[in-house]
Amino acid sequence: MDLLQVVLSGVLVGMVYALLGLGVVLVFRASEAFNFAIGEFLVVGAFLFFILFFDLHLPLLIALPAGLLAAGAFAAVVEKLTIEPLLGRNPISMTIITLGLASLLRASVQLVFGAHSYPFVMDLPDITLELGDMLFLSEQLWASLLSAAAFAMVILFLFKTRWGVAIRATSESQAKAMAYGINARLILLVVWALSGMCIAVAGIMISNFGSLTYLTAMVGFRAIPVVLVGGMDSIGGALVGGLIVGLCEAFVGAYIEPMGLIGFKNIAPYILLLMVLLVRPYGLFGTVRIERV
Amino acid sequence: MLLSVENLRVVYHDVISVLHGVSLGVNEGELLVIIGANGAGKTTLLRTICGMVDFFDGRVVEGDIKLGGRSIRSLHTTEILKKHRLTYVMEDRPVFWYLTVEENLLAAAHARWDNQVPQDMEEVYSYFPVLRRLKDKRAGFASGGEQQMLAIGMSLMTRPRVLLLDEPSLGLAPLVTEELFQIVGRLNREKGVTVMLVEQNANAALGIGHRGYVMETGRVVLEGRATELLENQDVREFYLGSGEKERKSYRDARRYKRRKRWL
Repeated sequence: MDLLQVVLSGVLVGMVYALLGLGVVLVFRASEAFNFAIGEFLVVGAFLFFILFFDLHLPLLIALPAGLLAAGAFAAVVEKLTIEPLLGRNPISMTIITLGLASLLRASVQLVFGAHSYPFVMDLPDITLELGDMLFLSEQLWASLLSAAAFAMVILFLFKTRWGVAIRATSESQAKAMAYGINARLILLVVWALSGMCIAVAGIMISNFGSLTYLTAMVGFRAIPVVLVGGMDSIGGALVGGLIVGLCEAFVGAYIEPMGLIGFKNIAPYILLLMVLLVRPYGLFGTVRIERV
Repeated sequence: MLLSVENLRVVYHDVISVLHGVSLGVNEGELLVIIGANGAGKTTLLRTICGMVDFFDGRVVEGDIKLGGRSIRSLHTTEILKKHRLTYVMEDRPVFWYLTVEENLLAAAHARWDNQVPQDMEEVYSYFPVLRRLKDKRAGFASGGEQQMLAIGMSLMTRPRVLLLDEPSLGLAPLVTEELFQIVGRLNREKGVTVMLVEQNANAALGIGHRGYVMETGRVVLEGRATELLENQDVREFYLGSGEKERKSYRDARRYKRRKRWL
């Protein structure tokens, strides 16, 4: 198979993973908790969009923003109920809570939507690209473009607006932020909503590859190698980690699986993760702490 | 009294009692100094006044805090800062290390955002010219003195009427401390900011203060005008290290136990 095709396909998928990673990194920076319920957030976000777009037949330009807002609101409510009461306490407690949250949400989704799969064809304009003997599918291109756009918007928000400054300040220290009058509780709510929206975009684009079931949540586990390879607290790291995981999958899928190792693609990112962590425990782009000597 | 603390009792983690009935008051426009040894409860007192003590798992068991005659005991920090314009500068240089100096100032102005922000930032730069030079540098790379100046500059961005300063001299060279305290004195005089200054460096603090309290193990044990406190025998002995009692050699000093008890 053409090397360039493999690389570019890897990059396309990698952008979606990067967005997923961003969702985790934002929350980790702000509340120091790892959100293990990411897969369930992804499924809930995709289902919220599914209801608006496929059940209520709203036009895409309304259904997409409304679905994302709903996903953001959902994440904010979850934060308000489960994380906010623990503000100032040990982040490990919050991480454990997200584990419980994952079970609860998974069961709830199954209860409400059942275990069968929903066809998810968004009918976006066909932008399938053929370059020589290379082929990029329309869904992949859309997924990558929208993910990249969402990623860029989050970056702009964080680095160019005063709310972004307040979020970064609160992410560094909730106590200091509170002392200067930044409403840390509100900021955490905003961060979770933002994270929920990122994850929902990724969820919608991933569902668009085929169908949506409660098992789509498994994709959420991809976020773990993404953020650990890139560095838990680094936004740029999420981008690079996403691309690396995407490339890793594409290469393994193209060159190793044909040798008879079917499914190796799914575990390759974790092997890569182990190798990176052995060499750089903070991930490739984890914050190099400012040390005063 | 602009700010009055009445019989305040505070407990951490429901078991560790830190303040056992502290009462004190700050007049409008005053620069009040609180001195006391480590563990006397000075930081807890400031945290309680600004409404942050519950964030550190502390609880007000008894007593009240009044600002301008109204109780602020049960308010959140954000409300106290916004509505009553009381700002707490935490100890150990509370700046955001990974933000630039300018972003730090912007972050501190977040709660009161209005079109006066650029103007106030200019004012901060005029009080602390060194910050203008550093404005695009990450605050974590600034020196200790610069960080403390930034912290006070940030508190000015919140437009405080009352400023609580928690050991601003911590870890600073004596000359830097002196410069910093000069500026704090100027803020108090020129902008009319009421200041409550908690310090270990009793000499420097009482030098710029109007009035002072001495705290020990959760109680106020002494009160007076700053000049009187500087002359006080016990303060001189315990906090200024220049008591005129018998001279002690190093060998005695090792076994030297404090004999004086206040209560």
